[in-house]
Amino acid sequence: MVTELASLAEPSSDARMSGAARAQGAIGAGITLRDVVKNYGDFRAADRISLDIRPGEFITLLGPSGSGKTTLLNLIAGFQKLDGGEMLVDGAPIDHVPTHKRGFGMVFQSYALFPTMTVAQNVAFPLRMAGVDRATAERRVAETLEIMRLSEHAAKTPAQMSGGQQQRVAIARAIVRRPRLVLMDEPLSALDRRLRESIQIEIRELHRAIGSTILFVTHDQGEALTMSDRIAVMDAGRIVQIDTPVDIYRHPQNRFVASFVGESNLIEAEIVQRRGAVMALRNRAGYVFEADAGHGIEVGRATVLVRPERIAIADGPGPHAMPVTVTSALFLGEVLRIEARADSGETLLIRCMDAAGRSLPAAGERLHVSWGAADCWVLA
Amino acid sequence: MTAAATGFPGPRRGSLRGRLASPVLLLLPAGLFLGFIYLLPVIDLVRLSVSGPTWSTFFERVFSVPLYWDSLVRTMQISLTVATLCLLLGYPTALLIRRSSGITQILITAAVILPYFIAILIRTYAWMVLLGRNGPVNKLLTGLGLLSEPAQLLFSRGTVLLGMTAVLLPIMVLSIYSSVSRLDAALPRAAQASGAGPIATFWRIMLPLTLPGMGAGFLLVFVAALGFFITPTLLGGPGDQMFAMHIVQQADFINSEGFLQALAVVLLVITLLFVGVAGHFLGFEFIWGGSKAASPSGKAAGAGAATPRRSLLSGLADRIGWPVLRLLGRLGPAWGRWTVLVLAGAVIATLIVPILVVMVISFSSASYLTFPPPGFSLRWYEKFFSDPNWMDAFRHSAVIAAASAVISVLLGASAAMGIVRSEIRGKSVIMLLLVSPVIVPPVVLGLSLYSLFLRFDLVGSVWGLASAHAIGGIPLVVIIVAAALQGVDRRLEQAAALHGASPLTVFRTVTLPAIAPGLAAAGFFAFLHSFDELVLSLFLSSAQLKTLPLMLWADINYQLNPVLAVVSSLEVLLVVIGLALAGPVLARTRAGA
Repeated sequence: MVTELASLAEPSSDARMSGAARAQGAIGAGITLRDVVKNYGDFRAADRISLDIRPGEFITLLGPSGSGKTTLLNLIAGFQKLDGGEMLVDGAPIDHVPTHKRGFGMVFQSYALFPTMTVAQNVAFPLRMAGVDRATAERRVAETLEIMRLSEHAAKTPAQMSGGQQQRVAIARAIVRRPRLVLMDEPLSALDRRLRESIQIEIRELHRAIGSTILFVTHDQGEALTMSDRIAVMDAGRIVQIDTPVDIYRHPQNRFVASFVGESNLIEAEIVQRRGAVMALRNRAGYVFEADAGHGIEVGRATVLVRPERIAIADGPGPHAMPVTVTSALFLGEVLRIEARADSGETLLIRCMDAAGRSLPAAGERLHVSWGAADCWVLA
Repeated sequence: MTAAATGFPGPRRGSLRGRLASPVLLLLPAGLFLGFIYLLPVIDLVRLSVSGPTWSTFFERVFSVPLYWDSLVRTMQISLTVATLCLLLGYPTALLIRRSSGITQILITAAVILPYFIAILIRTYAWMVLLGRNGPVNKLLTGLGLLSEPAQLLFSRGTVLLGMTAVLLPIMVLSIYSSVSRLDAALPRAAQASGAGPIATFWRIMLPLTLPGMGAGFLLVFVAALGFFITPTLLGGPGDQMFAMHIVQQADFINSEGFLQALAVVLLVITLLFVGVAGHFLGFEFIWGGSKAASPSGKAAGAGAATPRRSLLSGLADRIGWPVLRLLGRLGPAWGRWTVLVLAGAVIATLIVPILVVMVISFSSASYLTFPPPGFSLRWYEKFFSDPNWMDAFRHSAVIAAASAVISVLLGASAAMGIVRSEIRGKSVIMLLLVSPVIVPPVVLGLSLYSLFLRFDLVGSVWGLASAHAIGGIPLVVIIVAAALQGVDRRLEQAAALHGASPLTVFRTVTLPAIAPGLAAAGFFAFLHSFDELVLSLFLSSAQLKTLPLMLWADINYQLNPVLAVVSSLEVLLVVIGLALAGPVLARTRAGA
């Protein structure tokens, strides 16, 4: 698979180029959005969005439905017109270029394969539209089908194929022209979990090989975390944070990002003391803990994010442990998921790895939990 | 394990009780009814047509007399032209419905659907008013100075084509729209994202996908046009005689038995031939608005149809059509938009304007037809409601239509249950037989029924006429109720049965409430079908049992006056009220079929 993919990357045969190297010689386009606005009647679907997508980058728009991610994708595809702001591809404005002249590839949620054409005809369609000569087109189609492991299905119609196969045809059609930008609109949402995971990996490897910029839209945070170079989290028509998956998960900038991406404990606490880079906080239950000072908050109240897997279960009561009462406990296989309530009434979610000798706590059982300064993230 | 061993009572396989419980039996009433009143007379018709000295005597006469042969050729030409015109005008209209949204879409859809349910007789009459000597078109042309004096616009081939196209257009639009609306909205976008411009998207993606809808619409219009009688009679001149008109004229001569039937058989055979060929390619489902593609797992998908191969014809179309479109593409994208807008706008105008003009004229104070009316008055409404002849006709029509609706709903709904709920083989053949009356030219049906009615002394009887109208009412009911039944979640019925409901209770508490709107809509359309029916009534009614369409027909042929506009306006009102009540149901069965 890797060698096949390598043959796809025309400018350079190195399939494992760094992002920067890709940016120089590769085909991926850099996209710049400046103050992009789109209204549907009174509803502002895109609210002055600015975004810089680097050439060759895999960027994901993540957000709940109605957050404006599909609107943004449609604007970039050219299906809808901007109401304000501007859009540049490699520095050139594209506002007035119609969709079919933008030269992007796109994968649709419903696959949108042409039902009257065979798989090979579907994949050949963009080449035919581009006026590529027959021999070249046939070669490119064969290559692309080979890479997507569809060669034996070339003569079938979409209706004769499974969902996963149809999705691979849709991807093949989107990349056959080696477009500078490939748009993917929730392409995996109609597939079952196992298939989704295998196609995630396929898309990721494909991205490395072809070097196109990929703009991926999803509402599935797990998908966004595993696939992206960077994630842009959207809410109510705005991009609320754009960062690498690690930073999005560990250092969310506000409550929305913290609770939308991953499971979280958001703990209201009072700052009691500040010592250089570390501060001491006390939650409503009276438990005092330390956190990295990070942002500029000096005094008063703060919201602290502690991910469930960062909470440790202590052996017994102690000065640095908070007593909680278990309300429910689930065995999920590799982890235990425990819900507990502090004496002050706050609920706490705890995830710990399954290990020898660890038993599933019963509801009502008392536990003592703790976390360290590095496990906390103070929200702005 | 036997029933006794499990402790459950139950009919054994093949026992009488088990057979009586089978839903197949529900097909029986409609089957017997149609067999007696529809199939037998048609068979009798064929028998009479071959009863000459040799079997082919009468047919030889049909084909050797230039009058009939010419008329046959003319009928084909007119039908083909009308179907082509409908296709060219209907496609942009269907596209416009699809592209518009909100209130615009509702208005355009209403403009197409409303005429669909108004009697052909009334819509033809509206055109006579519109194009008449004192009609708005003549007024407009003289007013603009294009004509020095009002011209005779009626009674020519042009008006026949115009009238028939206008009358049949809704069928085409609805047929194309049903295939356009089924398309995934992402398909044209996918084509654009793949580099296809608007014209390439249309030619390579939209056109191939809507071809079945276009084919179905074309055939339905063509076949309907073949048997057309009312519109060409009223709008045509002496040189525009269509084949069905000869059959009605010949029916007045007693000594033409055998030859008359041969004429009808010729028309019937030609109609069935076209339907047969079309059904072979499109699947016979096109008759009732279903589609072959709807069953992807069926045998149709496996054979030929699913493997797109470039046939000679499509290759040729590509060679010619594509370059032409490319040339048109140079005109710029605005042209395409304007073409759709202008054509569709013209279509909507031709569908709605005549009806509006007739409604305005019904309030005219003038004693003859003139537009715009010189003043407002209700005198023609008064005249209509005070004239015992009109009132009698109105009452007859209402009674006959109500009786016909009852027959149609009882027989049609039970047949629909039988088809949808049984495991019987050859469902599509049975469905085809039940629905087939809609494609038989009414003139042929009327003629075949006439001898049956004579034999059983049914001519001029309310139940006779109601039954005859039910031949066309049953297919409507079957189509609507079958669609409604298919929308009922089988699991709801199973859940009710599981929780202890008997089959009858399941039907009463789960099935019936779910299909009740469908039944109501079906009843309304069966009523309307009978209320509007003219051609069968011409054959089967008597001077004592005049229906409203018969009165209209007589008056239109005798003298055009505003009372007819009153009747037309009342009919439009009836259809509007009915559609408003049945609208939601209709939307589900038509678009979702």
